[in-house]
Parts: sequence; C-alpha cells; structure tokens
Amino acid sequence: MASLAITTQIQAPPLNPKLKPQTNHKPPKTSLSLQATLTTTTITSTFTDPFVLQLADTLEDSLPSLSPSSSLQKLRDTSSQTLLSTPWPSRKDEPFRFTDTSFIRNSQIIPISHPPQSTDLLENLRDTHFTNLVFIDGFVENSVSNLSDLPDGVYVGSLMGVSDERIFKRVCEFVNEFQRGDLFWSINGLGAPDIAVVYVPEGCMVGNPIHLRYFSVEGGNEESKKLPLTNPRVVVVVERGGEVGIVEEFVCKEGSEFYWANPVLEVVVGEGAKVRHSYVQNQSISAAHIKWTWVRQDSASTYELAEVSTGGKLSRHNVHVQQLGPDTTTELTTFHLSISDQTQDLHSKLVMDYPRGYSRQLHKSIVAHSQGQAVFDGNVQVNRQAQQTDAGQLTRSLLLEPRATVNIKPNLQIIANDVKCSHGAAISDLEKGQLFYFRARGIDLETAKKALTFAFGAEVIEQLHCPLLKQQAKIHFKGLLESTQLHSS
Amino acid sequence: MASMAVVNLHVSTTTKTHCTLSSPSSSTRKLTILPSHSLLFHLPAIRPLHLHHRSLKPLKATLSAVDTPAVTDGHDEGSKPLLEIRGLTAVIAESKQQILKGVNLVINQGEVHAVMGKNGSGKSTLSKVITGHPDYEVTGGSIVFKGENLLHMEPEERSLAGIFMSFQSPIEIPGVNIVDFLLMGYNERRKKLNEPEVGPLEFLQILSSKLDLVNMKSEFLGRNVNEGFSGGERKRNEILQLAVLGADLAILDEIDSGLDVDALRDVGKAVNGLLTPNKSILMITHYQQIFKIIEPTFIHIMDDGRIVKTGDIGLAKVLDKEGYKSFSVP
Repeated sequence: MASLAITTQIQAPPLNPKLKPQTNHKPPKTSLSLQATLTTTTITSTFTDPFVLQLADTLEDSLPSLSPSSSLQKLRDTSSQTLLSTPWPSRKDEPFRFTDTSFIRNSQIIPISHPPQSTDLLENLRDTHFTNLVFIDGFVENSVSNLSDLPDGVYVGSLMGVSDERIFKRVCEFVNEFQRGDLFWSINGLGAPDIAVVYVPEGCMVGNPIHLRYFSVEGGNEESKKLPLTNPRVVVVVERGGEVGIVEEFVCKEGSEFYWANPVLEVVVGEGAKVRHSYVQNQSISAAHIKWTWVRQDSASTYELAEVSTGGKLSRHNVHVQQLGPDTTTELTTFHLSISDQTQDLHSKLVMDYPRGYSRQLHKSIVAHSQGQAVFDGNVQVNRQAQQTDAGQLTRSLLLEPRATVNIKPNLQIIANDVKCSHGAAISDLEKGQLFYFRARGIDLETAKKALTFAFGAEVIEQLHCPLLKQQAKIHFKGLLESTQLHSS
Repeated sequence: MASMAVVNLHVSTTTKTHCTLSSPSSSTRKLTILPSHSLLFHLPAIRPLHLHHRSLKPLKATLSAVDTPAVTDGHDEGSKPLLEIRGLTAVIAESKQQILKGVNLVINQGEVHAVMGKNGSGKSTLSKVITGHPDYEVTGGSIVFKGENLLHMEPEERSLAGIFMSFQSPIEIPGVNIVDFLLMGYNERRKKLNEPEVGPLEFLQILSSKLDLVNMKSEFLGRNVNEGFSGGERKRNEILQLAVLGADLAILDEIDSGLDVDALRDVGKAVNGLLTPNKSILMITHYQQIFKIIEPTFIHIMDDGRIVKTGDIGLAKVLDKEGYKSFSVP
C-alpha cells in the first residue's frame, strides 16, 4: 500500500509529498509517479472543430424547433454558441489527460430523435413501488412513471407540463444559469429533448425518495460504429428548508449495449434545505456514459451524494458543487469499479467561498482488469472568505491485476488561514495480513479475496440512501466479482 | 498479484497562508452492519467450569537437554502424537534472516504446552510457521500433524485439518461482519466433512450459544471483524472463533497480553471449557499468571530459535527466580 502524507507550512508551495510505500504490500514492478502542482487552463480555441461543428448540426437537426422564447430553445442557443468555440477534448487537455474519448469520436454519433414506441417495452419498465420518473433514451415517459404519491406543491415531470406559473418561472431562472461545464455539458444543452423538473417548495419534506430511472433502449453496434446518443437533462430545485431524496439509476435494455448517454443534472439546494442524492450507474460495459452533476448550495444547506458506478467502457462523472452561503454541508461518497477494459473517471470540484463550511469526500475505486483504468481528479477550493472550513478528502484504490492503472490527483487549494483540511490517498493491493487471517480460519484465498474486495466497495454502497437500491447494488457488485477470476498473489 | 500495476499519483496542494494539512491514516468512515436477525435465542447453559478441571496426570517431564530430537519423555504411554516438529528451521521470507534454528517439539493429544522465552527468541515465529504464514519460509526439518506432512499444506488446509491459531494482534477487517466471516469458515469445515452448509439464521443460533462462553454480548456480532475492538475484545473474539470453528490443536499466541484480570479469567475459562481429553494447546506467553487458569503439562523455554529447556510447572518457578539468563545459549 502506498500512503501519502502531506504537511504544509506557511507560504511553502509547492510541497514535497512524502510517499511511504510499504514494500511488503506493493508489487515490485508497480511504478508510482508523483507530480508537483500543475497549473493549466483549458485551452479554448477560437476556431470551430469540424467534428464538433458536424455534431452540433446533427444535434440541431435531430430535434423539432421550438418557439424562440422558450427556455429550452434559449438553452439550445447558448449551448450551440459555446459548443462552436469548444474543440473536442484531446489527451493534451488537462481535464482529459487520462481519459481517452476517442472511442466516441471515432463512432458515428446518432442523436435519438424519438422515444421508442413499443408498448410491451414500456409495460416492462413500469414500477409502481416507487415515486419515479422514467426517461427512455433521454425522453421523459410519463405513461410508465409513477408520480401519484407526491406531497402538495411538489412537482416532478417535464418542464412543459408545469402548470403553476410561479414554479415555471422559478425553475426557468436556473435553466440557463449553469453555463460553466465542458463540451459534454454543451452537447447535452443542445441535444436535450426536454427538461425534467423536480420542484420541492419551501419547508416541504418529501418522505420517499424520488427515483429518476434512465433507460437506454436504442443500441447501435460496435462493428458499424453507430453510436446512439441520448441527452437527458434534469433540474432539481429545493426551496428553503425543503428536503428530498433523489435516486438516479442508469441501465440499458438487454441487447442494446452500444450507446452513449450524456446526462446532466442540476441541483439547487435552498437555504437550510437538504438533498440526498443516490446515483447508480449500471450501464452496459460497451457504452459511453458522461455525466454532469452541478450543485449550488445556499447557506446552511446539505447535499449528500452516494455514487456506485460499475458500467460503461468509458464512464465519467463530473461533479461540481458550488457554495453560495455559510454553514453548508457537503458529503461526496463514491465508488467506481473497472471489472473489464473500462475507464472509470471521477472529476469533482468543490468550491468553498463562505465561512464554516463542512465537507467530506471519500472516493474508492477498484481496477480488476489489466486494461482497466480508474481516474480521479478531486479539487477542493477553500477560498479567502471560507474561514473555519472543515474539509476532508480521502481516496483509496485497489489494483487487483497486473498492469491495472489508476491516475489520481487529489487537489486541495487553500487560501483561507483558519481552516481544518485533511486529505489522503492510498493505492494498494489486498492486504496480505487480512488475507492470511481468512486463510487461517479455513477460507481459501480466492474466497478471501472476493470477500475483501466486496467489503472495500460495500463501504460506499452502504451510503446509498435507499435500502432496496443498496441491496440491489450489492447483488450486482457480487455478481460482477463472481464473474471474474482474481489473480493469485 | 498486480505486479507492474501502474499508479500515477498527482498531488497539488497550494496554500498561501498558514493552514494544517494532515493525512488520515486510513478510512475516515466506519461501517457498522447490524445483523438483521433477532438474537433472542435460548442460550443453553454452558457446563460448569472448573479452574483445574483437568486433573493433572503425573508429570514425569525430564529436564534434560532438549536439542535431542523427539522430546517424548514424560508423555503418557499410549497417547497419540498430534504434532511432531523435528529440526525445524525457518527464515523471514523477505530478508532471509534465520529465526528458527532447529526446533524439536512433540505434542500429544490432550496435552497443554506452554512456550516461554525472551522477546525475539522465535516463539511467535514458531506459531506462525505451524499455521503457514507467508512471511516465513521453512528451510529445513519437518512438521507432521496427525501423521500428515503439514508443510505441504496451504494455510487454509492446515486450519481445516484442525489447527487454530489465536493471533497475538488480530488484524482489523473493515467491511466484513463477524457473522459473515465466521460463517464462511464454518461452512468450509462443513464442506470438508461432506455436511450441508448452514444458512445465516441457523448459524446465528450456533454463534449465539457460544457468546456466553467468552462473556460477550450479542450486539458484538453486529460489528466488523476486530474493527475498533479493544485489546480485550480482540482476544475474546479469537476465542469465540476457536469455540465456533473448533480445533484439535489450539495455538494461543500471547492470549494473555494486554488483558486485565477479569478478561484474563474469562478468556482462560473459555479455553478450559473447550478442552477435551483429545484436544491440545500450544500457548505462547510471557506471564505465568495464565498458568493458574490454564495449567500446562509442559513448559518449554525458547532461546535463539531453539527450545533449550523443557520441564513441568516447576520450570516456571525457576524462571521466576532466575530469569531467562540461566537458560540462554552461551
């Protein structure tokens, strides 16, 4: 295991991270490179990338035109403008240094312009147990959604369906507010067929979590390189003192494994409000999945994210949490698994600008394939006004195969002078001492490895906010582990 | 495993004014899984414990030099050898430093052997080598257990053959619940005996019935293996495992270290409660206090990788007076 300890002193950047590899836990040929602070800015180009231009054209053509004054059209217009000045990211761009998106670029991207019409399919997707909103290939599908059990004043559904003028206006305030994502953010803005809304009025506690279930139905195939693209977009607005649980689940229809999901979720957490967000990504292992979660937190609000991502050949989660007032609480707990030649990427940014903020981040990843990769870039900014901030970040990675790769970049930027911040990074194999303890009790090595690997991920799965989801995620994770043969020490 | 894995760690930390950064040593979260099943089972009364219920057989242990192979003198005639160690030498796998330099030891069924010695004399190494710890490499000699060559067996096979080691410092296994952990070990034994595996509910019943033995509460079972356990809890947990999994040879590596008087009595009683005329104990200890509770048939003194003296309980008294000096190899 390699552990990282960093101590800082007044005006002493850049720092020398002390690396303490415990040789008995580290495979001999593992290479570990440490790099000093990297200050890079995303290169913005003034000319249009022809590939992006073509993609933008295809996206515009795929959707019916709307009234120029509608919020969605405004979103499309601004996204289109941004898109045309943003080139497709390359490995030379810092945010994509370890994340190769060429697999998408080399495919024939086909934005989906209509939801599938098969009624049999829709019936199978119906679930009456939960309050849930169903997305099929990015389109809100009211016929199979179950929204009967919502408290008064709560709205869940398409923006077009909002009948209350005040809610409509309030939500539209935010639709065009969030404009700071990357190329994929803009692609979603241009290609979103609709905007789904979760609105929780002031002081309203929504007892049962609201499930957002995203199904990818249309699949292309790897040989013809036809890659269907879907762009679901959701805005969650929780007014002052409100509380809600949001559960996002991403799955695909069996047999439709080659597609690209490019979802965006925007969350507005009002003063003293609380949002518990569970996100489970079970996409097919041939798919591309690039998600944005953009959160803005008013004073004394709480945002908790628990994520379990196991699917996707290329899966990336961009999380941006912006503090807009003092005394906020943010907890990010995430788990990524690469069981095949997958890239699992988490890019998180937490910006603290106000006093007495509290944040905890735990990111865990397992790479159990020689061509698998995990990427983590975790940025926490504690700016000048963010005094008495308590920020903690920890990342742990398990590499279970030869040549399995992890690229991690824990990244704390602290300007305030009265803060409590900690971070840690550990990359390891399974601990030999723990494995021996199992074996000394008669449990064979393979079983012991699976039990320890399972426990590693289960710590995060336990943080999912819905018991059934937790149970399903555990079964799914166990099944994935069973399907693989972990190498012997 | 994972040789040539590639790790790139990029760290950037900038600070303009004074702040403190500390690195948490490990996970900052603790996970507790409470068993979902009720633990309100009828607990059968355990049989009365007698501190000296093992009526001592007449001891005829010789105090002769021990480097001669097969120290069988003093053993009851007709009793079967359970473990036979001859000329055992072992090194630390990584550094090749020799720790065991020719250990001879025979343990018959029903005997309690205690190994004492200075720090670094090889006591714990001996117990780890018997259980097949990968940190050590056997370079010579033999270990035969129930007539079979133990050195050819994997650690898990040794465990299933009937050897249990209570660890000196049991390791924490975050995320693995005690019940799940023990159920795995229990079912491995059932499989070996060609018996059907038991389910979690049935197992919880078996487990609950053993809790009293080590004076532990049922809430204990909701915890992860050794995670956040006190020293006493760790030792009790080891003995609970011994009680559940059973063993023909229990190796107790400093089961008495770091225990207060009450805990020591509980643990000692529990061990005595598990003893039968066929089962044997090899205990490693620094303290004679435990002999008042678990009475040894033989005491061995280890020094510099060898057993240099073997005797009965009287040896402990000599040791008490004169220290290890008198037993040291010159």
